[in-house]
Amino acid sequence: MIIKQLSLSNRLLLAVSLVLTAFLGVSAFSLNNAFQSSADTAHQKRLKNYVYTILSVAEFSEDGAVIMPEELAEPEFSTPNSGLYAQITSGRDIVWQSKSTLGLFIALPDHPSPSKEYFSTITLNTGIKLLNLAYGIVWENSQGQQFGYTLNISEDLNAIEQQKIGFQRSLWTWLGGTGLILLIVQAFILRWSLRPLHDAAIDLHAIESGDRKRLSKDYPKELNQLTQNINTLLDHEQSRRERYKNSLADLAHSLKTPLAVFRGELESSSDIIELRRTGHEQLDRIDALVNYQLQRASTEGQSSLLAPVSLGEIIHKLLLSLDKVYQSKQIKHQFEIGHDVYIHADEGDLYELLGNLLENAYKYCKNKVHIFVQPHTNTVEIHIEDDGNGIPEHAQDDIIKRGKRVDTQVDGHGLGLAIVSDIVSAYRGEIRLEKSRLGGANIIIELPKH
Amino acid sequence: MRILLIEDEIHLREQITQQLKKQNLTVDAVADGEEGLYLGLEQPYDVAIIDLGLPKLSGIEVIQQLRKAGKDFPVLILTARGRWQDKVEGLESGADDYLVKPFHFEELSARINALARRASGWANSTLTCGPIALNPTNQEVTNNAVIIDLTAYEYRLLHYLMLHAGEVLSKTELTEHIYEQDHDRDSNVIEVFIKRLRTKLDPDKTLNPIETLRGRGYRLALARDH
Repeated sequence: MIIKQLSLSNRLLLAVSLVLTAFLGVSAFSLNNAFQSSADTAHQKRLKNYVYTILSVAEFSEDGAVIMPEELAEPEFSTPNSGLYAQITSGRDIVWQSKSTLGLFIALPDHPSPSKEYFSTITLNTGIKLLNLAYGIVWENSQGQQFGYTLNISEDLNAIEQQKIGFQRSLWTWLGGTGLILLIVQAFILRWSLRPLHDAAIDLHAIESGDRKRLSKDYPKELNQLTQNINTLLDHEQSRRERYKNSLADLAHSLKTPLAVFRGELESSSDIIELRRTGHEQLDRIDALVNYQLQRASTEGQSSLLAPVSLGEIIHKLLLSLDKVYQSKQIKHQFEIGHDVYIHADEGDLYELLGNLLENAYKYCKNKVHIFVQPHTNTVEIHIEDDGNGIPEHAQDDIIKRGKRVDTQVDGHGLGLAIVSDIVSAYRGEIRLEKSRLGGANIIIELPKH
Repeated sequence: MRILLIEDEIHLREQITQQLKKQNLTVDAVADGEEGLYLGLEQPYDVAIIDLGLPKLSGIEVIQQLRKAGKDFPVLILTARGRWQDKVEGLESGADDYLVKPFHFEELSARINALARRASGWANSTLTCGPIALNPTNQEVTNNAVIIDLTAYEYRLLHYLMLHAGEVLSKTELTEHIYEQDHDRDSNVIEVFIKRLRTKLDPDKTLNPIETLRGRGYRLALARDH
C-alpha cells in the first residue's frame, strides 16, 4: 500500500539510493579485503627479506658461536623498541639478539626444521602483538659437525594495524562522500527529468479550472505523444460540446416556426379540416427537425483516437438489412470493394451516413444499386449509384449548402441528405453528385482514412 | 389476419390496437417482452409488431427466441431510436421491417399488409381471385367491381382465406386466425360464416368460390390474379 502511494520521484530516489548504497558497501568490503590480504602478504615477504639480510651478515665459528656485526643494515634492528626484532636461538639458548630487543623478553617457542619457515602471531606479556617468522638453519663446520639454529624475526603488528585502520578510515570517507554527492546529484537529476510531468499536471489543472483550453506544445519527446492525445481528446470534446450546444439552440429555434404556424392557424382558422391538415403538417415538420438535430448532436465526428472500422462489414450489413426491407422491389445490388478498407471513424456515424445514402438509393432506384469503394492513399472514395430518376433539385441544394438549418423545407429525401452532408463535413470529407451510368444519381463520398 | 402487438407504452398500444381493429384485423396486445414471447410461441400469428425497448425481455431477444423456436411469421419492429445501427441490429436478429416512432398509422398499416402479403406470396396490395377483390387498405370487397357488404367476422374470414388462396385451411386454423386470444371460440360458427360468405359472394351459385373438403377444412378455390 505504501509503495503504491509513493510518488514517481520518491520511487526512483528510493531505488537509486538502495542500489547506490549496496554498490558502495560491496565496493568498500571488497577493497578492504583486498587491501588486508595484500598488506599481510607484503608483511610476510618483508619478514622473509629480513631473514636473508641477517643470514647474509651472520658468521659462524668452528664451535658453533654466532658472530654478528655491530650494526645491521636495517637501523630498526639497532633501535630499542623499534618494533622490529631479531633473535637467533640454538636449542633453548638465545645465541644472539638484535639491539632493538633490549628490555624485552621474547620467548619463542617455535623451532622449525632446517630451511622451513613458520609464521605465528605472538602476544607478549606487555600486550604487544608481534608477527613472528621462525626459520630453521643448520651450520656445518669443517669437521662436519652440525649446529641447529632458529632465526626469529618479529615485527610489531601495531604499526600494520594502524596502517589498516588508516586505510579503512580514508576508504569510508571517500566512498561515503562520493555516495552522498551521487545521491544529491541523483535527486537533482530526478527533479529535473520529472519536471515535465509536474508541468503537465499543472497544465491539466489549469484546464480543469478553465484557465487554459489545451496543453502547451513544448514537452519532451516521450511525453509529447501523450499530451498530443490529450489535446486531441480535449479538442474532440470541445467540438462535440459545441455541436450539442448548437444542435440544442438550433432545435429550439427551429421548433418555434412550426409552433407559431400551428398557433396562428388555431387562432385564425375555423375550418376543422384545414386545422387538422396544418396540425399534421407541422407535427411532421417538428418530428423531422427533432430527428435531424438529434442525429447532428450524436454525430461523433473525426478523431484520431477512434479505432478503425471495416467499411466492407458495415456496407454488407446494411445491404442485407435493406434487401430484407425492400424485398418486394427485387433490387439487384452490386457491391465492389477490393480487400477490406478500414477507416478511423465512429461506427455509428458510418452506419448513419451509409444507411441514409443506401436507403435513398434503394428507395429511389428502379431495381439496380451499385456500390463501389475505392481506397486512395489517405482517403476512401465511396460511390453509390442507382438507376432511378436522380436527385431532385431542391434536395441537391441540401448537399451543397453545408450546415444549413433544415427548418424551411424538409422531406424524406432532403432530411437524409442533410444528415449525410453533416456527417461528411464532421469528418472533413467531400461529397459530390454526378449522373450515374445507370441513369440515376451517383453520390460520391470521399472520407479521410484517419 | 391475427396480429401480435408488443408495446409497453399504454397510449400507443391502445391507439394501434384500436386502429388495427378498425381495419378488421385481429389483435392481441401485450405490454412486456415475456408475455409477448409466450403468446408468440403459443399462438399462430400472421404478423408481429414488436417495440425494441420493452420491459423484462428486450424486443431483440423476443425476436431471436421466436426465430430460434422456428416461428417464421413476419416481424415489424418499432423503435424510437432511429439510428441505423439499431435498425441493422433489429433486422439481423430476425425482424423483417422497421418503423421509427412517431409514425403515421397509414404507414404502419401499409407495412403490416405488405409483410402479410409477402409471407403468403402475394405481390399486389389488393388481393384478387377471379372476380373477387379484397383491398386491405380500405377493407373493401368487390365482386366484378360491385361492392359486397360484409360483417367484421365475415371480412376477417375472407381476408384469411384469400391470403392463403389455394391452401386447405382447417376450421381450427380459421378460428385461431380471426379471433383474439381471450375470445370465446366456437368452431361451429365458422360453418355459419362460410355459408353466409358463399351466399354473399356467389348469390347465383355459379362461382363456387369456397370449397368444403370433408374432414379437412375449406379452400378458396379461385385462382390468384397477380
